[in-house]
Amino acid sequence: MLFEPYHLTYVLRLIEFPKHDIPFADCKQPKLQLVQVLSGHRGRVWNVSWHPGGNILASCGEDKTIRLWGTEGGPEGKWVVKTSLTDGHERTIREVAWSPCGNYLASASFDATTAIWDKKSGTWECNATLEGHENEIKSVSWAKSGQLLATCSRDKTVWVWEIAEEDEYECAAVVNAHVQDVKKVVWHPTDEILVSASYDNSIKMFRNDPADDDWSCIATLTSHTSTVWSIAFDRTGTRLASVSDDGTLKIWRVYLPGNGEGIGLPDDIDPRWKCVCTIVGLHSRSIYDVAWCHQTDLIATACGDDVVRIFQECPDSDPHQPSFNLVASSSGVNGHHQDVNAVAWHPTIPGLLASASDDGDVKLWKFLEGEL
Amino acid sequence: MLLSFLQKSKSLIGIGEQQTSPLSSSVSGLSVPNDLQSNSSNMSSSSMDRQSTDQSDHKQFQELIYDYIRSIKDPEKPATLEDLHVVYEEGVKVKGVTPGNVKMVEIEFNPTVPHCSLATLIGLCIRVQLERTVALSNPFKLDIYIKKGAHNTEDEINKQINDKERIAAAMENPNLRKIVEECIQEED
Amino acid sequence: MSSGFSGVLQLTDLDDFITPSQECIKPVVIEKTASGTGSKIKIQNDGSYVQVNEGGDTEKLRRVDISLSDCLACSGCITSAESVLITQQSQDEMLKVFQNNKQLRECGKEKESKLIVVSISIQPVLSLAARYKLEPHDAFQRLSGYLKSIGADVVLDMTLSEDLSLLESETEFLERFRSKSGGSKTCLPMFTSSCPGWVCYAEKTHGSFILPYISSTKSPQQIQGTLVKQLIAKNRSYQAANVYHVTVEPCYDKKLEASRNDFYNEQEDSRDVDCVITSIELEQMLMSQNLSLSDIPPAEVDFPWLEGSSSTEPCSYKGTLVRHRGTGSGGYADHVMAVAAYELFGESSAQLNFKVLRNPDLREAILEKDGQVVLRFAVANGFRNIQNLMQKLKRGKCPYDFVEIMACPSGCLNGGAQVRPEEGVQQKELTTQLEKCYEELPIHTPKSNPLVQEIYANFLGGMGSDRISTSLHTAYHAVEKMNTALNIKW
Repeated sequence: MLFEPYHLTYVLRLIEFPKHDIPFADCKQPKLQLVQVLSGHRGRVWNVSWHPGGNILASCGEDKTIRLWGTEGGPEGKWVVKTSLTDGHERTIREVAWSPCGNYLASASFDATTAIWDKKSGTWECNATLEGHENEIKSVSWAKSGQLLATCSRDKTVWVWEIAEEDEYECAAVVNAHVQDVKKVVWHPTDEILVSASYDNSIKMFRNDPADDDWSCIATLTSHTSTVWSIAFDRTGTRLASVSDDGTLKIWRVYLPGNGEGIGLPDDIDPRWKCVCTIVGLHSRSIYDVAWCHQTDLIATACGDDVVRIFQECPDSDPHQPSFNLVASSSGVNGHHQDVNAVAWHPTIPGLLASASDDGDVKLWKFLEGEL
Repeated sequence: MLLSFLQKSKSLIGIGEQQTSPLSSSVSGLSVPNDLQSNSSNMSSSSMDRQSTDQSDHKQFQELIYDYIRSIKDPEKPATLEDLHVVYEEGVKVKGVTPGNVKMVEIEFNPTVPHCSLATLIGLCIRVQLERTVALSNPFKLDIYIKKGAHNTEDEINKQINDKERIAAAMENPNLRKIVEECIQEED
Repeated sequence: MSSGFSGVLQLTDLDDFITPSQECIKPVVIEKTASGTGSKIKIQNDGSYVQVNEGGDTEKLRRVDISLSDCLACSGCITSAESVLITQQSQDEMLKVFQNNKQLRECGKEKESKLIVVSISIQPVLSLAARYKLEPHDAFQRLSGYLKSIGADVVLDMTLSEDLSLLESETEFLERFRSKSGGSKTCLPMFTSSCPGWVCYAEKTHGSFILPYISSTKSPQQIQGTLVKQLIAKNRSYQAANVYHVTVEPCYDKKLEASRNDFYNEQEDSRDVDCVITSIELEQMLMSQNLSLSDIPPAEVDFPWLEGSSSTEPCSYKGTLVRHRGTGSGGYADHVMAVAAYELFGESSAQLNFKVLRNPDLREAILEKDGQVVLRFAVANGFRNIQNLMQKLKRGKCPYDFVEIMACPSGCLNGGAQVRPEEGVQQKELTTQLEKCYEELPIHTPKSNPLVQEIYANFLGGMGSDRISTSLHTAYHAVEKMNTALNIKW
């Protein structure tokens, strides 16, 4: 495990915390409270995704099914399975993603296809299948506009799909920038910039070049020493969190051309991303997912040591060298019993988090702020 | 090293994961740097006793695991991995536990020739065999490594055979699955 | 972009991270000499393998060599591993043959030496002309001079082969269209086949579903191969195997094409094209000798086509660099559409305008008659457009009659092994420059070439002769996925 002096001081500060002599019982520590366990999948659950409206949670996994969960008896009610989509894929469904309008659900599968589901007929059904990847698709993501979709695969490529017409998707680009398995694709929250994370330890960003309407790599972010499993933008799109098999969570910050900080830029057009914080030593296994809440700015991680962890930026944090505190984690009997594969913050209810695990469960958590 | 210390510290400040189980703060033979140890006044003497019980528990677990992998058949030759000295008892080690007190096991194996193209397949067999046996009743974390210097591309192979997503996908490939099943099936 | 292969091959099969010895999954037939059981294989200090028999005798084991044609027949990777390329298709290999020939001649063993023929296609000429800031025609002649100075006996242009390829594509399309209109189950759209990257991708990825749509017409490189090994060899009294034929091409994919078993004549133990070298390799050769193409004295490009013939009709384009109408990849769509508009619909002056669709690498032209679209042609370059075309075809939604397909974006002028742009110049700018250069060349039409008639009448034995299909057409083979679990990459 890698320790840089800067991080060591950060870690030590965290340890010094209990010296303040606050009795645990009296001090309301922030905590992650289990809200509900959503059982039903057979085998490992790979991913969860909230509908943009917040009233549906989609989950998928090894059992080749997508489950759509909703509440019973009003928004405060218990979450139950509303629909089970079973006939879309022949192998594991690795990831599900809602379109920004909420009318479409995309599912990425190890069977090398991406399915697009909608409810136009009254029930959820698959109305388009995106074929072309050579093997397992690992991730799928919709651009903000809803007109573009990205997928990535073990075949080392990232594909951008364009919605040509009703239920017609055309390949707009095949980007061959990574040298290994691509694990995750994510769109920038506001701009049409695509980001991918790979088994080759790097993160890459892509943008459309209007000259030939093709997509090219505009930035490569290297610092992780093993597979980068997942990435997530903050609400402004100026910072990116990444998690890796190397056990670290990294925060990257963008420096635009002509920035006042004297950060050199590769050329005049493209922004430069710099790793401004590395959190080491807190995750004891590979970290499989990260989610940055766009309401509360909390960061959640899903780790191979069965724990969901919540990080919060220190209030006095230097923007060029921010520090984050581990403020809560899923624990003990309530926690997952096996690797946690995914975490997702609810789009409208602050602090509501869903997690998916190898133990076959999806869990809903509520982050409770501490009080001193 | 520092990691286990941090886990202790976190439990002290109430953000750890282990308040529920008294066993959860076990530290298995890890040394904590001196300058940091002073911060941790709660390192009780009882943890030393626990350490020794842990050790015998770990030893038993190692033996259990080894029992399940010794009989895996080589994908090419009509012999077991043990016969071919691909796996051996001292190659199985419990390296520690996670915050939830789940054992972290490391298995080292030695492929027969330096460029053996079947090393990834052997890694796959070991993992699948254990997932279907020991892990069912005793979930644990597994890392599999090739004996250092025993393979031309050991880093690449180590990475691949420890990537759970690649493994899950591999086991959905009917042809690969078939050969793994053949290697791990019990001889009656 | 360090590979000289087209994007399609890099995307689908080409695996730069393996070397054949390590991960090649191609099973090879090993000729086994009868040996008892108890022999052992030992690895020597030098890394070679020896077999130790029961008696203790040792025998050095032969290394198994994987050739490019093995790679093509295999569903695994296509490796760019140098060990494979170098053995057959490299400048080193070519120079070795040149050198050997020189030595034989110096020792007076003229009869044992080979006839070395180099055929140059147009795209590398333009690439090198831009690199050395020369006029295209001047660059062509200097290139000829350079190749002759290092050992080429004959240097040829490929206009005649391009003409034959266009004419055969035209005939094939008209036949397909008419028989489809006549109700028979013929495959339309017809896809061009001159890009070996695309053909290789189709064979490996889409298999027997797609192959009937692909034109059986040989590419200009392979037609040139046939002409050189059969016609020129005969005229110069050489056995095919004693002619060493090199082509100069814009893409590494052409090396794979030349290595196909379809273009190997077993009886004569001869390949139609023995070696393919590319623009970028020629640049390297010049650089390694500290030469600039502009330093090289020019030499005429040879024109041996009328040797042994009674024809005296003058060839207007002899000695000049010409282009075909349409794209810089051979102009298949333009040529075939113009002919089809006339032959099928009597439109002799149809304005065929290829309009850009979704992106500049996808263009379409239509012919309307009485308000109805009667012909729909397209040019599709680059992987994404090929991909969309394949998906549309599979879903029965491909509206075209004919598609000119090239694996490289912008087509052959932007081939994978063209000379790289200078520092600070974008690939796109260089491609635009080459396209402009190409457009400025004088236009040549296949039917105006008197040699074409000569070839059909004499060499091919007249229109409708069987020899046309054997000499100017080829076949494709679906590559079966290999299911040997031991070799699956996961």
